[in-house]
Amino acid sequence: MTQILPLIKRFFQQELRNSNALFSLGLYLIGITYLIYLLGGNNTADNTWNTLLWVVVFFAAVTQSSRSFELESSDYFYYYQTVAGPGPTIIAKLLFNASYMAVLALTTWMLFTFFYGNSVYDPGVFALGLLLGSIGFSVVLTLTNGIASRTAGNATLSTILAIPLMFPVLKLTSTINIQAMVGVSFEDVLPLLGALGALDIAIGLLAYLLFPYLWQD
Amino acid sequence: MKGRVYKFAGVALVLYSLIYGLLTSIPELPIIEQSIRNLFYHVSMWFTMVAMMAASFGNAIGYLSKENLQRDIRSVCQAEVGMLFAILGLVTGMMWAKFTWGAWWTNDPKLNGSAITVLIYLAYFVLRNAMDDERKRARISAVYNIFAFVMMIVFIGILPRMTDSLHPGNGGNPGFNSYDLDNRLRLVFYPAVLGWIFIGTWIASLRYRLRKLQA
Repeated sequence: MTQILPLIKRFFQQELRNSNALFSLGLYLIGITYLIYLLGGNNTADNTWNTLLWVVVFFAAVTQSSRSFELESSDYFYYYQTVAGPGPTIIAKLLFNASYMAVLALTTWMLFTFFYGNSVYDPGVFALGLLLGSIGFSVVLTLTNGIASRTAGNATLSTILAIPLMFPVLKLTSTINIQAMVGVSFEDVLPLLGALGALDIAIGLLAYLLFPYLWQD
Repeated sequence: MKGRVYKFAGVALVLYSLIYGLLTSIPELPIIEQSIRNLFYHVSMWFTMVAMMAASFGNAIGYLSKENLQRDIRSVCQAEVGMLFAILGLVTGMMWAKFTWGAWWTNDPKLNGSAITVLIYLAYFVLRNAMDDERKRARISAVYNIFAFVMMIVFIGILPRMTDSLHPGNGGNPGFNSYDLDNRLRLVFYPAVLGWIFIGTWIASLRYRLRKLQA
């Protein structure tokens, strides 16, 4: 734990210093949301609203995580691993990416609410679904980016690897969100939330176990 | 001779299921009618695919623990054969769907799951082609293989059970067992699964030997 926290802090500092990337991501979110608004997104049924939200979050997630190992592609990641050990480094990276992704997802939701009005009946469940979904996203994307960064700079590879793997998480999250929008009772959503949480934990554990093999030379 | 027994058994069992599957008497059910015989040909493809992918997954774990390159070659050969059976499963399933559900493709969780499985393993082959160094390729694709297999099980084994499906045994539809997987069908279905798994193993071993010669 003493090693994880400074690393997370370091990742956030790196991100803030590199404000160019942060701005471009924010601009993407605002731009795409407004584009959808111009194309008539303010008039959509629940299902379409939810689909649009997830498409926006999905591409934000892909963009954010594609830079995940950019700085480390030099010797940074090796350095962290020697200093802190591979386990804590990966946990720190996963936690950083998950919290970043959660912020992105919540921002997108806020923008959608601002432009198209609130269509969500049960914000608590919706937020929980969004949060668990972002964690799952970040785990899958961190792993696939780790893999892609090891294959001599193939930029599209990470996306190709990640898209099919993200489907289970995406499917569960969007189902939960639809149910939160129409206001299904909490007891009925609970099994889905439990399944998504269990899936997050399982893939997180798997990523933690598999990561050290990626950086073994 | 010892190593050949399963090949003979595979050929015999598959021939038996192909021929006897068309001859055996079947339960008379509405809509599904004679197409229930596709159970022997369609469902056994998926069983074989899962078996092949599981073997590939096992060899991927084996590679990570022992760093033996032969394990890696076995792993990729089994994944390729699994892919072949996935495509065969999709084709036989599409025909069955056309005649019982009225469309080649429906938005059904199992269909989505199998489509995603195909995409996942196609990505696996793309990943392998992106690397030249043998050891690095073996290790990194083993990592992806392990993760992919777990995701595949989640998608074809767990998610369809949580949502409605046109397939038997999911979301309110009764499973085959409850109404018609009677002993007449079992007598052909189980041998068919076993036979195709033997055939799949045979193809994988041939590909393995070929790859070893090419390497």
